[in-house]
Amino acid sequence: MEVKANLLPDNSGFKKVKYDSLILLPYKDADLSTVLSQISTVFVKSYSPGSLATPSFRGTPSNHTQVEWNGINLSSPMLGQIDLTLIPVSQFEEIEVLYGASSLTRTTGAFGGVINLVTKPDWNNRIFTSLSQTIASFDNYTTNLNVVAGTGSFQSSTKVNFNSAVNDFPYYNDYTGEHVTQHDASGVQYGFSEEAFAKIRDKHLLTGRVWYSYDDRDIPPTVSLTPTNYVQKQLDKTLRSILDYKYVEKDWNIFFRTALINQFMNYRNDSMKLDEDHYSSSWINSLRFTYTRIKNLTIKPGLDYTYDHAKSDAYTGIKTRNTIGAYAEVSYIFSGHFKSQLILREDYLESKFMPFVPALGLEYKPFIKINLFLTANANRNYGYPTLDDLYWNVWGNPDLKPEYDKAFETGINYNYPSKNGNFFIESSVTGYYSWMTDMIEWSPIPGNSSIWKPQNIQEVLARGMELSLNLKLKISKLTITSSNSYSYCRSTYQQATSAMDQSVGKQLMYVPENMFNGTLSMNFFNFNVGYNFSFVDKRYTSSDNQYFMPGYSLSNIILGKAFIMKHFVLSLQVKINNVFNVDYQSVENWPMPGRNYALNIRFECKK
Amino acid sequence: MIALILASCSKTPIREVGPPPVNPPAYDSVHYTNGVFIINEGNYSRINASITFIDGKTDSVRQDIFKTANNRELGDVAQSMKILGNKGFIVVNNSNRIEVVSISDFKTIATISGFSSPRYLEFVDSTKAYVTNMMKNISVIDLKTMTVTKNISTPYWTESLLHYKQYMFVTCIGSFTETSSSNRKAQVYVIDTHSDSIIDSIPTGKEPIGITVDRKDKVWVLCTGGYDFFEAPTLKRIDPDLRVVEKSLTFPSQQKVPSRLCINPTGDTLYYIYDGVFQMPASATTLPGSALIPSNGHLFYGLAIHPQTARIYVTDAVDYVQNGYAFECSSVNGQFIHTYVAGRIPGSFCFTSSTKK
Repeated sequence: MEVKANLLPDNSGFKKVKYDSLILLPYKDADLSTVLSQISTVFVKSYSPGSLATPSFRGTPSNHTQVEWNGINLSSPMLGQIDLTLIPVSQFEEIEVLYGASSLTRTTGAFGGVINLVTKPDWNNRIFTSLSQTIASFDNYTTNLNVVAGTGSFQSSTKVNFNSAVNDFPYYNDYTGEHVTQHDASGVQYGFSEEAFAKIRDKHLLTGRVWYSYDDRDIPPTVSLTPTNYVQKQLDKTLRSILDYKYVEKDWNIFFRTALINQFMNYRNDSMKLDEDHYSSSWINSLRFTYTRIKNLTIKPGLDYTYDHAKSDAYTGIKTRNTIGAYAEVSYIFSGHFKSQLILREDYLESKFMPFVPALGLEYKPFIKINLFLTANANRNYGYPTLDDLYWNVWGNPDLKPEYDKAFETGINYNYPSKNGNFFIESSVTGYYSWMTDMIEWSPIPGNSSIWKPQNIQEVLARGMELSLNLKLKISKLTITSSNSYSYCRSTYQQATSAMDQSVGKQLMYVPENMFNGTLSMNFFNFNVGYNFSFVDKRYTSSDNQYFMPGYSLSNIILGKAFIMKHFVLSLQVKINNVFNVDYQSVENWPMPGRNYALNIRFECKK
Repeated sequence: MIALILASCSKTPIREVGPPPVNPPAYDSVHYTNGVFIINEGNYSRINASITFIDGKTDSVRQDIFKTANNRELGDVAQSMKILGNKGFIVVNNSNRIEVVSISDFKTIATISGFSSPRYLEFVDSTKAYVTNMMKNISVIDLKTMTVTKNISTPYWTESLLHYKQYMFVTCIGSFTETSSSNRKAQVYVIDTHSDSIIDSIPTGKEPIGITVDRKDKVWVLCTGGYDFFEAPTLKRIDPDLRVVEKSLTFPSQQKVPSRLCINPTGDTLYYIYDGVFQMPASATTLPGSALIPSNGHLFYGLAIHPQTARIYVTDAVDYVQNGYAFECSSVNGQFIHTYVAGRIPGSFCFTSSTKK
C-alpha cells in the first residue's frame, strides 16, 4: 500500500495539506462541510444539515477563505463566499488546503487560505465505473455514478450525483421545553460533470471540464418560542466550464486557461414578500509561463484577466468588474538544505492599481537524510470588497476601500516512512501571526439606526498554532491509521468602533479558540472500522464576549466491508453519526440532529 | 482524547450562555415598584430580549429580571412596555405576544397572543387597550380577560399611539411589504375609542414614527421622511380638534433620520434623537440647530424623559451585538449624571411611578 505524505513539506516554506481519494472515500456521499469539519482545521459554521455552511480559517471572516475547483474560484463575485453544502464530495478526487500566504499562488484576498478541489486524470485507467447508493436517516438518499474511460493519451470522466433529503429530525426546543420535529428543511440536489483530458506526444496537454449543479432547498425556521409557518426557499443553478492547454518543452512550459462560471440564485421569503433573482457570470483567463533552464532556479511569470458581470434584483442596474493581474513566482534552491520561493502579485481593477502583494517563503532541511523541515514565510495581502458590499440597494457602500493583511508564519514538519513501508509517521507544528486592517464590518451609519452599511472600520489580530500528527502502521494483514489535527486561534477585535465599545481585545464572534479532530481507523481483510472524534470550543455570540455558545464534541463511527473480485468491488458501509446523541448547535438557534445513520452500497468495475 | 469523549457524554447547555447575575438579590427582597425599566430589544430571531431594572432608591442595576422571576426567556425583540396600576405589559414584537407581569415581583400574570408583529400599546381605560402591529390591524385587548377581543381593520403598519379625549391618534407608516417609502401611505388615524373604529385620518410626511401632545393640546408628529431617505424628515404640529397639520418644520436634508419623539412632564419641551439628542421648546418656530447632547461616538438608540424628575434617559446600542448602556442626563445642560449597563440593544424605557407615556 503506497503511503503518501498528507502534509506537503516540500513547498518552499508555504503550508499546503492534501487529502487524497483514500482519505475522502468514506465521505463520497457527503458534502464538503462534513469533510472539512471532521478532518481539517478549517472551522465550519453550520446552520442546518443540507443548508448553509461557511468555512473560516485562521480566525478570518468567511469571505477570506476561497474555495476553488481545479484552481477556479467557486464563490460568486457578489457574495464573496461559498455555501459548502452545495459541493458534493463525489464531484472531485482530492482536496488541497493552502494556508495563509500559500493562497497567493492562486489568488489575492484569501487572508485565511484556499481550499482547492482537484480532479485529475489517471492515464493508466482504461475503463472504470462506480455506482453508489446511500440511504440515511431523515429520508436522505444519495446516488453517485462515475464512469471513467480512456487510453494512455485520452481520458474522459463523467460524474453524476443526486441527493434528496427531508431532514425532519427530532430535536429539543429548550425555549418551550418541547420535543419537536424539524420541518421545512427538505432539499433536492443534482449535478453532472464531464471532463476530457488529451495528451499528445507528452508535449501537448488539453483539458476540458464542465460541471453543472442544481440545488432546490427549503430554509428551515430557527428554534423559537412561537411556531412560525413562513416559507423560505433558495434555488441555486450553476454551470462551470474550464478549458486548459499546456505545451511542454524540456526547459520551459506554457499554460493557458479560460473558464466561465455562470451562477443563478433565487431567494424567496413569502412572509416578507421577497422573491429575488441574482445572476453572476465570471470569465476567468490565466496565462503561466514556467522557465527552468537555469539550474536550481524556476521562474514563473503570468497574467490573469477576470471579467465579472452581475445582475441582481437587489442592485440598481448591472454591475461589472474587470481585473487584470500580473503574477510572478521565483523559486530558488540554494543547496540541498535550503530553498526559497518568492511570489509577487499586482492587480489592476476599477481603473486603479491595487496594493503590491509580495510573499517570501523559506525552507531549511538541516539533515539531508532526515525529513525534517523548518519553514517560515511572510507576506502582505489585500482583499477587494464584494459586489454586494459595494452595490446592494440603499445598504451598499461604493466608497469601500480594500482590506489589508500583513502576516508571518513559521513551522516545523517531520515525516518518517519506514523502509519496509509498514510504518509511517508525519507531524507538523505551525505558528502564525496575522494583522488585518481596514476590515469591513456592517454597522449602522451615524444618525440612522435603520440603515446598516459596510465600512472599513475594524482591525483584527489573529495569532495561533496548528498541530497535526498522522500515523500509519501495518502488521501483516492489519492496517491502522490515525490522523489528528488541533488548532488554537486567538483572533481579536482591535478597534473600538464607538465610545462604549468593549470589544477591543475580545475574541471574534464565532471563532472558537480551540478545535480538534482525530480519526482512528483499522482495516483487516477488507473489513474496516473507523472512529472520528471532533471537538469545537465555545464560540462567542457577542463582541464583548459576555455571551457564548457552549463547546461540544461529536463522535462518528464507520463500519465497512469490501468484497474484491477480479474486476469488481462491492462495498458496504454503515455510518453512525453523532454516536452519543449530543444535543448541540453550531450557530445559535439552528437545531442539529442527534444520532443518525447511513447505509451505503457501492459497486465498482475496473478493466 | 478519552477525557474529551467522557466530557461529551455529560449534559451541557446547548443554548447561548450569558454572564452570571451580579450580586443576585435574595428573592423576597426584590421589588420593582420604584425605578426605571430598560427594555432591551435583543437581536432579531435570537430570542434574547431582556429587561434591566434601575432601582429608584439605590440606583443599583439588575439585569434579566424577567428571566430571573419566571425562569424562561422573555422572547424575541421586546419592543415596548407600559404599566397600568400594578401590572406591566411588555410587547414582544417577533414572538407575537404581550407578557403581562406583576410589577412588584415581575412574575407572569398572563400572556396575550393573536397579534401580527405588535409594536406599542396604549390604554383606553382600565378595561381596554389598543396595540399597533407591523403587518396589519390594530388589536383591541380586554384587560379583564387578557385576550384580544377584536381587530380594528387596516392593511398597514401602525406604530405610535396617543390618547386624546375620547380618541386614539395612531400613526400609520404604510404597507410593511412595500420596501420603497414612495409606495407607503403615511397618515395618522383618528380612532373613536367608544366604537373602536377609524373615523378620520390626517396625511403626514413619510414614516410618522412618533406622536405626542403638548400642554396647549397641540399634537406633534415626527416623520423620518422614510428610512431610505425618500424625503427630508419633518416635525409636524397638528390641531387635534380640527384635525389638520398647521405647522411643518423640515430637518436639513442630510443622510440622517430623527427618531424617538418625547415630551417633558410639563408638556412644554420636546425631545428627539437626530444623531445627538435635541431639545426644542414647543413654542419654537424653528428646529434647534445643535444637539443638547452631541453623539460624540455614541450610538443613541432609545430616549425617554422621566415623568417626575424630567431628566433625560438615553441609550447607547454600541454595535447592536454586545451589551448596551443607558445614560441619565440633565435636561438643563445635557450633562451625563449616571451610566448604567443594560442588555442587548436597549431601545425603550418604562417608569414605575407613572402610567402615562
